[in-house]
Amino acid sequence: MSDYVLKYSRGEEIKYISHLDFVRAFARAVRRSGLAMTYSQGFNPHPVISVASPMSVGMTGDGEYLRIGFDEEYSPDEIIRRLNDVFPGLKIKAAAVRNNKKEYDFASIEAADYTVFAETGFKGLNTAGFFGLNEIIIPKKSKSGVRDTDIKPFLFNISSEPAEGGYIIYMRVAAGNSNLKPDTVLDAMKKYTDGFEYGYFTVHRRALLNKEGKELL
Amino acid sequence: MRNVKKETDKFLREVQKPTRYTGGEVNSVIKDPEGKVRFAFCFPDTYEIGMSHLGMRILYHILNEREDVYCERVFAPWTDMEEKMRERGIRLFALETGHEITGFDFIGFTVQYEMCCTNILNMLDLAGVPLLASERGEGCPFVCAGGPCAYNPEPIADFVDFFMMGEGEELICEIIDVYNRWKGSGGSRTEYLSEIAKLEGIYVPSFYDVEYNDDNTVKCIKPNNENAKPVIKKRIMLDFDKATAPDKIIVPFGEIVHDRIMLEIFRGCIRGCRFCQAGYIYRPVRERQPETLLCLADRLIDSSGYDEISLSSLSTSDYSGLKELTGGLLERTVEKKIGLSLPSLRIDNFSLELMNRVQAVRKSGITFAPEAGTQRLRNVINKNITEENILNSVSMVFGGGWTNIKLYFMIGLPYETEEDVAGIAELAEKVLHKYFEIPKESRAKNINITVSTSSFVPKPFTAFQWEAQDTRESLLEKQRLLKGAIKSRKIRYIYHDSKTSFLEGVFARGDRRLGKVIYAAYKKGCRFDSWDECFKFDAWNEAFEETGIVPEFYNQRKRDYSEVLPWDHISVGVTKEFFIRESERAKDARTTPNCREQCSGCGVKSFGGGVCYE
Repeated sequence: MSDYVLKYSRGEEIKYISHLDFVRAFARAVRRSGLAMTYSQGFNPHPVISVASPMSVGMTGDGEYLRIGFDEEYSPDEIIRRLNDVFPGLKIKAAAVRNNKKEYDFASIEAADYTVFAETGFKGLNTAGFFGLNEIIIPKKSKSGVRDTDIKPFLFNISSEPAEGGYIIYMRVAAGNSNLKPDTVLDAMKKYTDGFEYGYFTVHRRALLNKEGKELL
Repeated sequence: MRNVKKETDKFLREVQKPTRYTGGEVNSVIKDPEGKVRFAFCFPDTYEIGMSHLGMRILYHILNEREDVYCERVFAPWTDMEEKMRERGIRLFALETGHEITGFDFIGFTVQYEMCCTNILNMLDLAGVPLLASERGEGCPFVCAGGPCAYNPEPIADFVDFFMMGEGEELICEIIDVYNRWKGSGGSRTEYLSEIAKLEGIYVPSFYDVEYNDDNTVKCIKPNNENAKPVIKKRIMLDFDKATAPDKIIVPFGEIVHDRIMLEIFRGCIRGCRFCQAGYIYRPVRERQPETLLCLADRLIDSSGYDEISLSSLSTSDYSGLKELTGGLLERTVEKKIGLSLPSLRIDNFSLELMNRVQAVRKSGITFAPEAGTQRLRNVINKNITEENILNSVSMVFGGGWTNIKLYFMIGLPYETEEDVAGIAELAEKVLHKYFEIPKESRAKNINITVSTSSFVPKPFTAFQWEAQDTRESLLEKQRLLKGAIKSRKIRYIYHDSKTSFLEGVFARGDRRLGKVIYAAYKKGCRFDSWDECFKFDAWNEAFEETGIVPEFYNQRKRDYSEVLPWDHISVGVTKEFFIRESERAKDARTTPNCREQCSGCGVKSFGGGVCYE
């Protein structure tokens, strides 16, 4: 058995698939491709697939990762070719064998780059000013109730530009162990910016990054 | 035609299970809609239920094989989605293109059960199409319907332009051919309907006048159009082995009810259980050859990526090629780690061994359907299994390590007595006793027996079509009686509320006058009536009251054989004489042999094929 890491994009067509449904749909796609997928041992064998920092429903992405085992050795090109025909909306961009557990380690992911579009009639969004705040306090729900939390330590960078019908906001936030969701950042911007309201928004994850700010693959 | 995909995208994140509304699943058909006949195939329930329906998949495939047609899927949006659509003025749209179906050529509904009628109205309303067929003008889509519940089309006759009776594979193409010719001719709506009325299996309700007697029974149903046939005979695929079966099936993103490959091994049923509408309306039995099915299975496995296959039929054990088929399937499934599920299997040595091979370790539950608690009542309903059969089977099952047994019964059957109800408890106790008879070391632990009862609803085209449905009070009493009679704590009793059965009983054997009840109930907000969280029994009762319709006239009244039944102008091939004979035998608790033992002359031989000529 060989362990592979795949880098893929998640397109508009499949952005509403929940994480669990995605894993199942991906396994079915692999079965359609004819690639020899490895199954877990035991009473009820199932494919071993794990996804790095699973996305929320409604998000698209360009630099997503998943791990999967194959019973045979395939070249990255073959994997890409065979999988790209069987799952509309999903594109495999790169593939690599993992020779050891340290290689392409999902645990090394620490940040994510997002492009957010927020529909708004508001003009003059001061993103630099927002980023300059010493602390950004938002109420966070947990099991024990609502607690104020400072999200500033998890917001690494943010900028914006006006676009037709709203703003495009670029942000780098914590991912992996501590996670900051882009919609939470939008909420905070609304709280800290008088008159800023937004309606519909889209979230696109451009990349998942390690400590050095590099993509895994 | 307006494409609403962009607009729905703005709120899909906020509704439950958004992939119900996005389309784009693997194997869904993408075509250029330009110049094609647009067919909206509507299933009047949720995506998860509708996508589990094999008939829809077959017709979707057949229509889309044609270059001149684009068939798309439409399901009833759940209440959260409906609210958002109405708020934003978004009409009902087709999943493939996102086009609103208001301007489609056809809107076709498959009617699988009585309680989906208000969903049909709601979907038409969401589509911006007039609810009443009589109010649809030139340029409106043709609203058509089919499916088992359409064999008595009368309760929804007001809302449907035409019905297709029986298996639709050929008929649906014929109506398209006529449509193509008609469209170029500049003819009227009535001219189209009048043209298709010539086709075997087409029923255009507006071409028939219904007259009533003073006692409210139907006096006659007479054609008022020269092309309308006095009796509309259902269509069947006589050579079922050659009938088209999709070799590519849509694979939904989210989990659906039957999330697996379904192999339809045969149509019809040889058994002739007297309560069972499916057993009569799908006659005669026609099988697919094992080789055909194995070949189909290979293609479906490759094109879908599913990891489970299920056999689909009314009674798996009656398939003559079962050994060959399961042998061949197991070769494939074991190698490819695919699960095989074998529903409605009778327990014998062969099937037990088969089940052991299929589920190597996990022992899921096994359901038995004795249907009635005593031999006398089982003879009444022609359920030809004996207590000995049942007890032998459970012994084998317990010996094989299964401990989860479900026993399925009906209450409210014709000629049922207290003794029969108590007999259910006795039978369950005997089943339990069989478990304890097995030495401790060779049986698995934690025996768990579930007795489940549903309330019998008399259906058209069955031997019980003249019978009165049991009252809700009587059914409740029987449930109480049974609950009291079950003593062991190892036996759990579950039963269903009789309110839905009461309404099913009304609409199953209703006539055209019920259209206004359905309309009134819909206006009172009824929809998704088969979903507990949406069901509004009070609103239905108000609807009956306001329209002056007495529901008990339809469900709790025993009919004479001489009465004109509201569906007498529809023929499923089984003759009324046969149903009367069966009804009389039921009275005397006399059984009737199955089709393979001996032909009982039900009438379907007239189709010229199937089991009648084996």
